[in-house]
Amino acid sequence: MSTPAIRIRHLTKDFRLGLRLVKLRAVDDLSFAVADNEVFGLLGPNGSGKSTTMKVILGLLEPTHGDCEIFGIRSNTVEARRLVGYLPEAPYFYRFLTGRELVAYYAGICGVPKREQAKRVAEVLELVDMTAAADRRVGTYSKGMLQRVGLAQAVVHDPRLVILDEPTAGVDPIGAQAIGDMIMELKRRGKTVLLCSHLLAQVEGVCNHVAILHKGKLVAEGAVADLLRRQGVSNLAVENLTPAARAEVEAALARHGAKLRGVGDARVALDEFFLSKISASKPAEKQERP
Amino acid sequence: MKQSLGHIVQIARLTFLEAVRQRFFNFVLLLMLALIGSASFFRRFDFGNQELHFIANFGMGGLEFFGALLAVVASAQLFFGEMENRTALTLLAKPVRRWAFIAGKLLGVMALLLVFVTLLTAALAAYLKWRQGELMEIWHQALLAKEVDTEMPEAFRVQFGGLALDALLQWLKFDVLAAITLLVASYSNTNMFTVISSFFIYLICQLEYIAREQLDDLKVEALKRLVLLVSWIFPNFQLYSIGDLLVFPARVPIPDHAIWAAIEYSVIYLVVFWALASLSFRRREI
Repeated sequence: MSTPAIRIRHLTKDFRLGLRLVKLRAVDDLSFAVADNEVFGLLGPNGSGKSTTMKVILGLLEPTHGDCEIFGIRSNTVEARRLVGYLPEAPYFYRFLTGRELVAYYAGICGVPKREQAKRVAEVLELVDMTAAADRRVGTYSKGMLQRVGLAQAVVHDPRLVILDEPTAGVDPIGAQAIGDMIMELKRRGKTVLLCSHLLAQVEGVCNHVAILHKGKLVAEGAVADLLRRQGVSNLAVENLTPAARAEVEAALARHGAKLRGVGDARVALDEFFLSKISASKPAEKQERP
Repeated sequence: MKQSLGHIVQIARLTFLEAVRQRFFNFVLLLMLALIGSASFFRRFDFGNQELHFIANFGMGGLEFFGALLAVVASAQLFFGEMENRTALTLLAKPVRRWAFIAGKLLGVMALLLVFVTLLTAALAAYLKWRQGELMEIWHQALLAKEVDTEMPEAFRVQFGGLALDALLQWLKFDVLAAITLLVASYSNTNMFTVISSFFIYLICQLEYIAREQLDDLKVEALKRLVLLVSWIFPNFQLYSIGDLLVFPARVPIPDHAIWAAIEYSVIYLVVFWALASLSFRRREI
């Protein structure tokens, strides 16, 4: 078995608050592993310990107990951070730089050789579809553009593990869809992605595995398909179901000891409907332009 | 190590670029240039032979005050700007060592202070040169009219090399103050606390010479040791206040080794404060 991209063992993190140094336990005996080349969702309500866990993985916080490794290297070392790309929640970058200068700055920081920097920067800007706006100042970017340029800086040094904290926060459904596509592209390129998001529909769409935290503890972990499967319950999608056909189906099911639980109109998800309408109107928009 | 040096240069470069865009820097720079320009106002008063002394003291005094202000405020702002905007989070999640981050910030502020001191010293020197030329001409006319016996004496003339040395000493002092501010910022939670504490420390550094002078007269051994300890912890900023002796010919010239000693003294304190700031910042939760 290959080395996991992330391995967390019995991680506990306490914060000391106020003058009396009252102890607040943000993460409580957390253990899980993220396999190489999977998209792993870290879920939980606000204050559940997701950000603290991510900061420990990034070496920005020292655990009170337990340990964390990235591809077998302790996460608080510079060597481990070379393998990681990170997009923070609601990223804020140096507003006076252009997108290209910003990504080049982080490329230099991550040790991308100077002779390769321009090519590599152009490649990642293309990956996140920011080539056209690359020479504009970051201060003029929309939220969606900031997220995309943030993703570009996270992957500019070709890391093995990419950590994305709420990458679609404040981004419209089209931008969110684009970021979802980029995550899938990263997986296709062999990267491991740790995704922290409140958009559960998106997590379900892109993640292989998820871990759910609540009050600092792990409450569920596993493959998305396994966790969401309702044991002993199946769906049938039927077109033109008449009352007579329904009665016959129910009778047939009863003969086999099964029971029809309910019948309703099949629905598409709202975001799917929205995206289909927007993409359908795109050619018309293009024609309208002079 | 090589990569960390590269990080320091890159962080310093970006810190400097960010700093020169700060309104506070531009405001202080313009204010100081206006102050130096306003020195022509003093021509209305008769300072006699002391006019150039007065202009030099006025200019360097302003530089000392606003330079200290800039060293503290810019260092604190640039540090907390990274923390509050969470750009530090993105940067420190990369393979950057925390001591390199502090060193980059310090070098960026030092570069800013160098620009500040160089521009203002150049402006002051240009003004002094022009005014000295005028005064020498007046003196020459007086000599022709036999109102005086000699050309303008050397003692009244500006030594521009000395002015540059004074500027260098002031820059070193501001650098030490910037390092102190970063040390305070490395454990402090707010910009305001950092600025106030750093100014308080600046005052101690400016005034500690008084305690040093009293050291031999102190009777209580414990107090003597305390004063000695304070004088070791805080750099003595009076060492940098020798501008008048440098800018105008002194009866007892300042030996070269004294300047070198001041440079060494500054470098030692810079390294110590940077190391302490790095140590304190190492465990800081970002």
